[in-house]
Amino acid sequence: MGELREVYYVDGVRTAFGRAGAKGMFWRTRADDMGVKVVRELLRRNPGLPPERIDEVVMAATAQVGDQGLTLGRDVALLAGLPQSVPGFAVDRMCAGALTAVTAGAGEIAMGSAEVVLAGGIEHMGHHPMGEDVDFNPRFVAERLVDPSAVTMGATAENLHDRLPQLTKDDADAYAMRSQQKAAAAWENGVMRETVVPMSVFTDDGWRVAARDEFLRPDTSLEDLAELPTPFRPGGRVTAGNSAGLTDGATVCLLASERGVSEHDLVPRMRLVSYGFAGVEPELMGLGPVPATQKALDLAGLSLDEVDLFELNEPFAVQVLSWCDAFGVDPEDGRLNPYGGAIACGHPLAATGVRLLAQLAYGFRERPRARYGMAALCVGLGMGAALIWENVPAGH
Amino acid sequence: MALVTIDNGEDHTKPTFFGRAAMESLERLLPQLEEGDWVALVLTGKPFVFAAGADITEFPEATRELAIAGSRAGHELFGRIRELPFPTVAAINGACLGGGVEIALHCDARTISTAVRHFACPECFLGIVPAWGGTQLVPRLVGIETAVKFVVANPMRQNRVLTGPAAHELGFADRLLEPAEFLDESIAFALELATNGDSHSDSHSDSHSAAEVIRKARGRLDDQLHGAAPAPYKALELIEGACSGWTLEEGYRAEEEAVGELLPGRQAKASLYAFELVDRRARRPPGRPDAEPRPVKKIGIVGAGLMAAQLAALFLRRLEVPVAMRDISEAALVSARERIESELQEQVAKGRYDDGKARFLASLVSTSTGYEQFADCDLVLEAVFEEPELKRQVFAELREHVKAECILATNTSSLSVTDMGADVGIHFFNPVAVLPLVELVRTPTTDEVTLATAWAVAEQLRKRPVLVRDAPAFVVNRVLTRLMAVVLDAVEHGNTADEADEAILRLGLPMAPSVLLQMVGPRVANHVLETLHEAYPDRFPLLQTLANYAEGKDEIALREHEPKTQDEILQAALQAVADEIRHLLEEGVVAEAKDVDTALLLGAAWPFWLGGITKYLDQTGVSEKMFGRPLAEVGSGAPTA
Repeated sequence: MGELREVYYVDGVRTAFGRAGAKGMFWRTRADDMGVKVVRELLRRNPGLPPERIDEVVMAATAQVGDQGLTLGRDVALLAGLPQSVPGFAVDRMCAGALTAVTAGAGEIAMGSAEVVLAGGIEHMGHHPMGEDVDFNPRFVAERLVDPSAVTMGATAENLHDRLPQLTKDDADAYAMRSQQKAAAAWENGVMRETVVPMSVFTDDGWRVAARDEFLRPDTSLEDLAELPTPFRPGGRVTAGNSAGLTDGATVCLLASERGVSEHDLVPRMRLVSYGFAGVEPELMGLGPVPATQKALDLAGLSLDEVDLFELNEPFAVQVLSWCDAFGVDPEDGRLNPYGGAIACGHPLAATGVRLLAQLAYGFRERPRARYGMAALCVGLGMGAALIWENVPAGH
Repeated sequence: MALVTIDNGEDHTKPTFFGRAAMESLERLLPQLEEGDWVALVLTGKPFVFAAGADITEFPEATRELAIAGSRAGHELFGRIRELPFPTVAAINGACLGGGVEIALHCDARTISTAVRHFACPECFLGIVPAWGGTQLVPRLVGIETAVKFVVANPMRQNRVLTGPAAHELGFADRLLEPAEFLDESIAFALELATNGDSHSDSHSDSHSAAEVIRKARGRLDDQLHGAAPAPYKALELIEGACSGWTLEEGYRAEEEAVGELLPGRQAKASLYAFELVDRRARRPPGRPDAEPRPVKKIGIVGAGLMAAQLAALFLRRLEVPVAMRDISEAALVSARERIESELQEQVAKGRYDDGKARFLASLVSTSTGYEQFADCDLVLEAVFEEPELKRQVFAELREHVKAECILATNTSSLSVTDMGADVGIHFFNPVAVLPLVELVRTPTTDEVTLATAWAVAEQLRKRPVLVRDAPAFVVNRVLTRLMAVVLDAVEHGNTADEADEAILRLGLPMAPSVLLQMVGPRVANHVLETLHEAYPDRFPLLQTLANYAEGKDEIALREHEPKTQDEILQAALQAVADEIRHLLEEGVVAEAKDVDTALLLGAAWPFWLGGITKYLDQTGVSEKMFGRPLAEVGSGAPTA
């Protein structure tokens, strides 16, 4: 085996994120068609890349049934019109699906078996509500292997509040409001134009263009947030306002080796430095990014202070706050989620990871002096994922 | 390798029992095992259940002859497993009770899963003894002390059961295995035995003197039962025999004789009746309304006394919803909050949940001297002093502060729910965390949704509702008050308190009347009596002694010196209880005698072998003598408005 090779992130794109369910804009759109849309857009934006030179298409989904059921990477490749010679596969690590697609693709590149990989994720939570068709092993209950709250993500967020009483509902609401405000600004400043591709979708009202995230609430106030019910526990702290809604969306990114970059005139934006996945108590799944972050930092030989930009998923405000608490990062720190997060844009489970990478890459371009950045998220059943990237400023 | 599954073909919610069909199936199987060329046998259960013991639904019909034949059939069939010429392993994968334990003990060795939560011989709890070899093989395997604890003491302590790890620790199993590959590893263990020969057959040698252990155990039984239930004593004799040189065959015969005597006997029949009430009948409890209950997301409690604090803690633990408490005394609210927090800390200490969860639950309690926090309550429970006027005032004030669909309930132990203006009564029993009964009191105006909601809340609290009509003191307190009146009457006529206590304890009740009175509190007891006196002056005369106690004076109001014998006291008590039960049945306070028994079993912890009490009264002819018919035949249909 030769030396491992460098892996570059070139470009990434997503659909707008829609509200899951019959009222959402993607209700009558197939999940795999959403994947097709982002793959074709990515190719359109990188015209130097001949489709037949793509070596692998990796697509994640949590629910691998129905319109997400046919080995998505291959299914989407064929439907997108990629040559039949381009292979593909599907992965699942729930919320870390897309990031796992990226690390799987990166592995192929690093090992020298691929030069160019498409990696992303799709989750149509309207068509595939969480846990649907999952047949939980009765041993979980019979042997008390995990706390029953572990399968309800909102309940795990309540558990985080229990574990870390210093993180109050007021803190979570305040964080959620800032996330909405930052997202609103981001829709003005270009990051979304760069990373979101509009898609025409058929709806009950005929065709329309899905161009903007449906969960945005730029005008939300602390008073509004304080009024919301707490569906996971009477008297609880987790509300629809301080968590990400159930979302439909698709993402994909382009990864390449050094050779792939130069052969196809691609512009590398980020270099993969290290990554870590880690497990925690399933009922406190929101803590997952803490050990994952530490693992990725250790592998990179970096300290947290040396990281200039963080893209953290925001399934629940308290989840981000728990990460901030663990690392002593101020939730208002300008390095953290400069364009808002999932509380504002939504969280289509297995698709989210590449949204984080696309925004991280955009953040690097806005901050040429920034050197390292990290994307991290927590995963159901008690896991975390963290990927550290190095900025590759334009012209590098 | 022969792999045999004990399986009734149903899913795990219907455990496998050894009824006639199971025994016939085993009888058909045995020749194949005996004649085949097997290296080993592994005997296991369907997923999550090994075997849950004999099919007790076949018991009520049993005569002495049938009981002996049933016992002998098990001895014969299980004995043939024991005689198999190759290693036999019982792989105890799940619930293993009674006959399940016994068939496992007839194997050469046992594996048990760490996931097993029910491993026990509950026979004594049901008024019989293990009679498929249990009393003989348990002491041989684990020694006399553990045998006494397992076969006699545990069943008599609320039917305590062992977990897999505990059973292994005590020597019941040779291997404790993880559930993930339990059967594969059990098979490997059996093959190991087949290959290497067995090292398991060394029987237990006791350092303790058998006679001494038995003597002490008998003493403990006397303290608890006062001889009222024969089965545990019989089990002790059988264990003693096993440890004093009986052959297994002799032991089998003794078990057969014992069960032949016990199963058709009064106590076993009453125990099976009681078990039916609290187990099977409770799954489809009569009177549960069909209406859809309303969601209850916030609870109000009026009052902050000891009972109110216990109730608040219970609501928090089981419902995990906000609880608003109101009392006129700021100090009472503070101490209620402290009591709640310490109860939550006890849960943390028991490992039920962590500090964080306890903190969260404590944060759900709000206290106030006003009613403003009751505005969004879905159910309010009143638990203030038993003062009719005060309660009327509370409910009048509540109506002004709660939303229209909020259910107003009272925890009164004796007063009229209707008169105070409550929608429904939810009467808990002290200690709230221990006694599972609630009397759900329906008034003429209680609607179906209210009743259904109260019922659902009670069940969420893991309580067992018995539906009663709004009548003075409902069921349990009314019956207990008649009993106590007999005791105090005897004391007023010159009997000592000890004499009176001992007379009643001959029934084997869980505590002496004088102890019960202290626990309930003389003030409360006297208040209940006054309420009942007002309604039924003839049957509930006021008692000066109780009034004295209620005022804190430890002074017996002696009357003419006419002490009774203990037998007379007991007979008078039984007649008073029978008389009162007949009245409340005829009034339709509950639907039938079974409800009275369920209430006494669950609300007063009266013993199984009395079948609550009406079974005993009917069995011993008390009811027949007094009313010419058993209480089981008295009744006036379901309690209605």
